[in-house]
Amino acid sequence: MTETRGLTMVVFVAYILGVFVLAAASHRLLAKKSFLHEYFLGSRGLGTWSLAFTFAATSASGGSFGGYPSLIYSYGWVLALWIGSYMIVPLCTMGVMGKRINQVARKTGAITIPDVLRDRYQSTPVGLVASVMIIFFTTCFLIAQFKLGALIIEDTFNLSFRGSYELSLAVFAITVVFYTAYGGFRAVVWTDVMQGIVMGAGVVVLIPIVLSKSGGLQRATQTLSESPPMAVTSVPGPDGDKGTFNDLVFRARRSPSPAGIQYVHPRVPGADLSVAWDGTPDAFVRVALRTDDSGMVTSTANDVRRAIEEHPELSDAIQVEIPYKNNRIVTQNGGFVTVGADGLIWFPDDVSEYRYVFLQGEDFLFGPGRTNTGAPFHPLGMIFSFFVMWAITGMAQPGTMVRLIAFQESKTLNRAIMTVTIYFAFIYLPFVFVVMAARNILPVLTPEDSDRAIVLVATRLVADMGTAYQVLGAIFIAAPFAAVMSTVDSMLLLISSCAVRDIYQRSINPQVNQRVVRFVSYATTAIIGTCVTVAALHPPDFLQKMIVFGAGGLAATFLFPTMLGLYWKGMTRQGALASMLGGCSITIGLFLPTLAGSPRIELLGLHPNVWGLVVSLVLAIVVSRLTGPPPPELVRRYFYR
Amino acid sequence: MDKVDPTPDPVYVHTLREAKIILCLWTICLVYTCTYCYLYGYLDHPTQTGSTGPSLGALVGPLPQFDRDPDSLTMPLGLGIPDWVFYGIVVPWCLCIVGTLIFCVFVFQEDDLGVEMDEATGGPPDGNEDRPDA
Repeated sequence: MTETRGLTMVVFVAYILGVFVLAAASHRLLAKKSFLHEYFLGSRGLGTWSLAFTFAATSASGGSFGGYPSLIYSYGWVLALWIGSYMIVPLCTMGVMGKRINQVARKTGAITIPDVLRDRYQSTPVGLVASVMIIFFTTCFLIAQFKLGALIIEDTFNLSFRGSYELSLAVFAITVVFYTAYGGFRAVVWTDVMQGIVMGAGVVVLIPIVLSKSGGLQRATQTLSESPPMAVTSVPGPDGDKGTFNDLVFRARRSPSPAGIQYVHPRVPGADLSVAWDGTPDAFVRVALRTDDSGMVTSTANDVRRAIEEHPELSDAIQVEIPYKNNRIVTQNGGFVTVGADGLIWFPDDVSEYRYVFLQGEDFLFGPGRTNTGAPFHPLGMIFSFFVMWAITGMAQPGTMVRLIAFQESKTLNRAIMTVTIYFAFIYLPFVFVVMAARNILPVLTPEDSDRAIVLVATRLVADMGTAYQVLGAIFIAAPFAAVMSTVDSMLLLISSCAVRDIYQRSINPQVNQRVVRFVSYATTAIIGTCVTVAALHPPDFLQKMIVFGAGGLAATFLFPTMLGLYWKGMTRQGALASMLGGCSITIGLFLPTLAGSPRIELLGLHPNVWGLVVSLVLAIVVSRLTGPPPPELVRRYFYR
Repeated sequence: MDKVDPTPDPVYVHTLREAKIILCLWTICLVYTCTYCYLYGYLDHPTQTGSTGPSLGALVGPLPQFDRDPDSLTMPLGLGIPDWVFYGIVVPWCLCIVGTLIFCVFVFQEDDLGVEMDEATGGPPDGNEDRPDA
């Protein structure tokens, strides 16, 4: 592992140097071309490979290499259905609006999405609302991504000293803000191409290695189906979810096994630790924890393990293990000693019990997948919602739409659609095969640590292979970092373009000269990056949910005003405004309970993002009918020769 | 006011047609994949889904008849992929790749997207679209 870590460091440094070189090359072009068109749009000069890889890399955030494999590890084959609509995502997200939005943008010289909408509807309010929405939703998204980037650096290099998060955040922020601000759109695209090739090549090479090392997918599936029921805890810690050393794995030794494990906080002072199970398969093993004189829990995971192992009946029924990263290592007498899971079983004030169910092998082979608390992961409403979300909401992400107004000619788009279709087919579905094949040879991971599944696959399976394979493993460790960067740089530039082009140049100071525009563009990108970095120093806990919220909010705001603006002659500026404001309001409203730690509102079992789209569509049509027809000169300009 | 030229913009006509075809393909994928996987890939099919619309059960019969017995799992072609994933996702995914290639080669029109207009002059750019330095 040390050797791999050294290689990882080399890969990281090489990667960051490569990014800076690309930024410098891109910066040279800025001096030769029209600044705004070059800085924010690459002079509408994207070729096939650039368009394909920048589109793919921008779509694939850090989640593709962290969260997605983590979900496969946690829920099994149902993730193939969860990601299923990617079979048609490239065609939908690039083919439905790509050629038309590019043509419409050329008609007016638009270089941002708010630009396109403002010109299409001849409405400053539409442009300003679009800009404000992009800045709001994308900033939420960015803060979470900055945090994710810092955590990846911290985790990858095992930095656990005081201030390690801040140092990691600074390294991430300085790198990404510098090359984005200095190089602009073309630097972002070039780095996307580099990142996209690395990610794609990594997956393609990893597949045969994993299948060969794990004994094949068939054997892995068979082993999984025969594996005994198992429960994995995910007890939080007072300092967050990480490094609390208080989780355990409970594996059934015989049938019938208990339904699960129940940790109970007695809420009385001086209680003793006790474990009990009535022997029936529907009952949970009840673990009542020890408390001190002030009523605080003093039992550690080690205590629970010992109590079960010493219990005459339970020790026959359950085997207790320590999951990955929960066996604390301390230095003692100049050497390293493992002390087990010595973290406290911690409870927030408003929680008095945790329940973790035993999952059978079949739960990983069939839907809906179950969480470690027994809740269904992917019920019917979510099957429909996610099929809509990936393909339909993916059409309306400003970060990807802006790439559609940046390509050279329709032939470029045509070839890029084919390229991305094949690229996604080699990335997303094979990920399910890789993680499912490797699952049985990985250590048991808690839900919090399952983000490291793909890193463990890459490092453990190639550890005894040649240097070339170890470099591959190192690349895979760096891949989530690259994926986060490729999303962050696009978002950073997107916000900057809204502030500079749509708000400053087109609404406040239309007569601004190029020198000032240049200065304002660099400064805005740097200032936004700095503000996001400061916000990411103390990010609120709900930020990960805000990533989904941000993507859904952007789709509800932009899909129908853009799509109907391109294809429906009857769409009016009032309809566009109502659609934008209504769609995003519904999305915000249904997500609002998550701010208080409650679940989002899922009307009729459907995801809030679906409702945002429905309301946005209805308002666009109804209000346009009521306020139409639109001015004939606009219809003529956009729909006739 | 100028009279509107009755000849529609060819890019608009082509892209609208292409968008309709793509959305039809997406709908086919949605209906097939979601229905097949839900019916044949799920262990349990709760009859109360919370939906007020027409239930899937009204179309295909009582849903519990589709509850999957874990022992019935097969792996087509010996690939190690569960049958419901193979027929519900892998096969349609392969067909989608073929369909996308067919679409791009035979349906997608290579249109002239026009020249970049300069917002300041309303005409083609002169090589420097931004306003000149003061």
